[in-house]
Amino acid sequence: MMRKRNEIEALLDDVLSLVTAPHAQATFEYKDRLATRFAENAITQNLSGEEESISLTVAFGSRHGSSITNRIDTESLAKLVTRTEAIARNSPQDPEYVAPPGPQQYPVVPKRFFDDVLAIRPEVLAGSIGKVTTIAKADGYQASGLIEAGSSVRALANSNGLFAYDQHTDFSFSTTIHGPCGSGSASGYSNSKEGVNAGILGQKALQTAISAQNPETIEPGDYTVIMEPQAVIDFLVFLPRDMDARDADEGTTVFADKTGAKLFANRISISTEIDDPGLPAAPFGEDGLPARRTVWVKEGIIRRLRHDRFWAQHKNTEPDPIFQPIFISGGKGSVEDLVRNCRRGLLVKKLWYIRYVDRKELLLTGMTRNGLFLVENGKIVRPVGNLRFNESPVVFLQNVVSLSEPQYVGGWAKVPAIMSEGFTFSSTTDSL
Amino acid sequence: MRELTDLALDVARTAGASFADVRFVEEKENRIYVERRSLKLIDETESFGYGVRVLVNGAWGFASSTHFAKDDVARTAQRAVATAKASSLVPKAIQAVMAPEPAHVDTCKGPCLEDPFEVPTAEKAELLLDACNTMLSVPSIAAAWGLLWFIKLRRVIANTDGSYLDLSNCFSNPMLEAVAVINGESQERNYTGGASQAGYEFIRQIDLVGNARKWAEEAVLKAKADDCPAGVMDLVLDPHHLALTMHESVGHPTELDRILGWEANMAGRSFISPSDIGSMRYGNELINFTVDNGLDGGLGSWFYDDDGVEMKSFPLIKDGILKNLGTTRETAPIIGQDFSNGCCRAQGFQNVPINRQPNLYMEPGEDDSVTPEDLISEVDRGIYIEGRGSFSIDQMRNNFQFGGDMFWMIEEGRLTKPLKKVTYQAQTRQFWASCDRIAGKRFWKPFGIWNCGKGEPAQRMMMTHGASFCRFRGIDVGGARL
Repeated sequence: MMRKRNEIEALLDDVLSLVTAPHAQATFEYKDRLATRFAENAITQNLSGEEESISLTVAFGSRHGSSITNRIDTESLAKLVTRTEAIARNSPQDPEYVAPPGPQQYPVVPKRFFDDVLAIRPEVLAGSIGKVTTIAKADGYQASGLIEAGSSVRALANSNGLFAYDQHTDFSFSTTIHGPCGSGSASGYSNSKEGVNAGILGQKALQTAISAQNPETIEPGDYTVIMEPQAVIDFLVFLPRDMDARDADEGTTVFADKTGAKLFANRISISTEIDDPGLPAAPFGEDGLPARRTVWVKEGIIRRLRHDRFWAQHKNTEPDPIFQPIFISGGKGSVEDLVRNCRRGLLVKKLWYIRYVDRKELLLTGMTRNGLFLVENGKIVRPVGNLRFNESPVVFLQNVVSLSEPQYVGGWAKVPAIMSEGFTFSSTTDSL
Repeated sequence: MRELTDLALDVARTAGASFADVRFVEEKENRIYVERRSLKLIDETESFGYGVRVLVNGAWGFASSTHFAKDDVARTAQRAVATAKASSLVPKAIQAVMAPEPAHVDTCKGPCLEDPFEVPTAEKAELLLDACNTMLSVPSIAAAWGLLWFIKLRRVIANTDGSYLDLSNCFSNPMLEAVAVINGESQERNYTGGASQAGYEFIRQIDLVGNARKWAEEAVLKAKADDCPAGVMDLVLDPHHLALTMHESVGHPTELDRILGWEANMAGRSFISPSDIGSMRYGNELINFTVDNGLDGGLGSWFYDDDGVEMKSFPLIKDGILKNLGTTRETAPIIGQDFSNGCCRAQGFQNVPINRQPNLYMEPGEDDSVTPEDLISEVDRGIYIEGRGSFSIDQMRNNFQFGGDMFWMIEEGRLTKPLKKVTYQAQTRQFWASCDRIAGKRFWKPFGIWNCGKGEPAQRMMMTHGASFCRFRGIDVGGARL
């Protein structure tokens, strides 16, 4: 059972009251979830569970140590404090230690906690899955996927009087539908049950799968691509890590010496927004610092890189406690409008197994998956076989031709479909 | 604990479960993480909980909890039954059954000569700080980081077959990296030896501080090196590099759950079908892969898997022909096998056990006199690769592309110069068919993979691979460039 806010605050106070170190920060986390997995049109796993934990960091001067337990009882919490203080006392001095912040004012973010998610039972999840497997079976296709419902609490208190509390619910569904010679996929995420309709997502995945059957091999090379929002966030997955200010200052990332410089096309602006009702941010981030709106890229120019508390202090600037949710500016049209304006290119639904090839260049490799289509003269003409890419998100965002209206995707972003020129595919595969 | 496991199993049986198990998992972790000259993290984590898995009318249910009163355990088992009943609303075409397995009652403890939790925290932190300091003292090294991560795992597994297992293992994972920046170029070099099922003695053996300067200097060498040439050429790959190549292109495609389509929404499927067992040519006749879940120091040597199956050793690929698969008690009967190969594990108490890669290694060459130098001496133009780097493979496990950690040009049988940004790309079976020589057993080395991601909700798992040095002819190299 989820503890009430005042109970959690009292619990953290109890932990802090046992600490003898001058600095302490205690974090309570709770998570309960239902998760039902399906494959080959049947439920294959079905789990329910809940867990709570307390993590504690203490510091004597700049000697710090941390400890976590999921045993929330008086004796275990006393041991947690003893163990954490012993670690800290025996640790070397940390020249980059930063003391916990004092009390903060938090922004009021849109609602992230919905009772309708708490009311979901395993039968409800099974019912949603049944809708998708039924339509897949009707066409002789195989559906697989995951549906999850749960709630989380995060509360933080420290020896300088800070207390921060956040609770939210999550409801998500993803599915991949395979035909004999091709597949499609779709996913949705929301804080509320109403925000995700498994049946609609299943239909979307099925339509892609039907369209993707019997792809023809296409030669690798440089293509204009239209990446749907899912593919865009797949490709930009390393952006939060790569936009670290200290790494850039030390010359190890592509953003070295780029603050203030134009790196992307004019139409690209990237920001963290905290008050979008469709994708609200958590009210606080690192060490309980309040979330705030941040513009990282404005009309192609790098405005800011992410600073942790130590590097912000070192560079005499404010820390950036959160990076997500990420918003990328867009246009007014749809994916279909981008297709209509494409003379020859590839429509990319999803990317997969993306890894760095070279971090400094931000050169990435990966594969297309679950639908790749050839576009000619404004129309999708046929499915084509999956390709391996070797390309940089920097080049991709430099070579932008046009953008659709942004869409919520992945539970952490609102981004447009992006048409970009000169995207490099390097090899083919028989894999469907 | 026996009283609680009996209670959970009784509740499941009474509710009509044809099979049930309960798994109590106690886990302790210790992490020390240093970035540059700063100790960013030094912590200890303890976690204790249990999961109850039930099979009711051929459908699965699972529930986990961290509450240990009898009422809580009974309620958790009841929740598992409730989820199983919900699963039966979208039933499998053929009801799930478990392959038979004898009842095992056993207590086992893995190797650990020096308990890493008893080593003073300051000593562990100072080791990483010394290693990073040494790296940062090398000119042009802009950044360095290191991690020590220790896990003590205790699993108590009881099931309705009558098994009761009390299993303990200790794992140690070191990491260390130097990053060189020269004229706008940035390259990394790492400790490449992987993790092991062992205590702190493993950390002492690998001498991170003693090797730190060498690795940092090689990072500098790499940053100054020529880019990878493009074209078709030969490769000589070291054992630590091959670990990841075999993990992705042999270990994952031979997991039966992927072959059956159960990972289609996440990790993907496989180019193999069950009828390929015994006939598919996976590589040439030099290629022999063995599953060994009893491997000394193997991260997958867990005595019994989470299905309660005693772990096994068997040939996976023999003389280039696919001979077997990684299976579980649920997947094996689906392809007509009446026993599991013992490849079912879960990350934690809150996770459902799934088909997992075992310890899997490539047999060394038959001629023990063959050395890595022999392999290189017979290459006119090629590249020698050490350690793991970039890695990516398609969802059916055909098209892959790998990098590495350190690269050397081979010209006329000699290593001539370092290279950077090397990648090679191949199709799985074409690649294993192109292996033409393997060094002898004395050059065989293991490599423990710490963090293999699979499943939904996502789970992390560990296993060990191994190989001797191998040579591959006519591979596409250098296709990845801006």
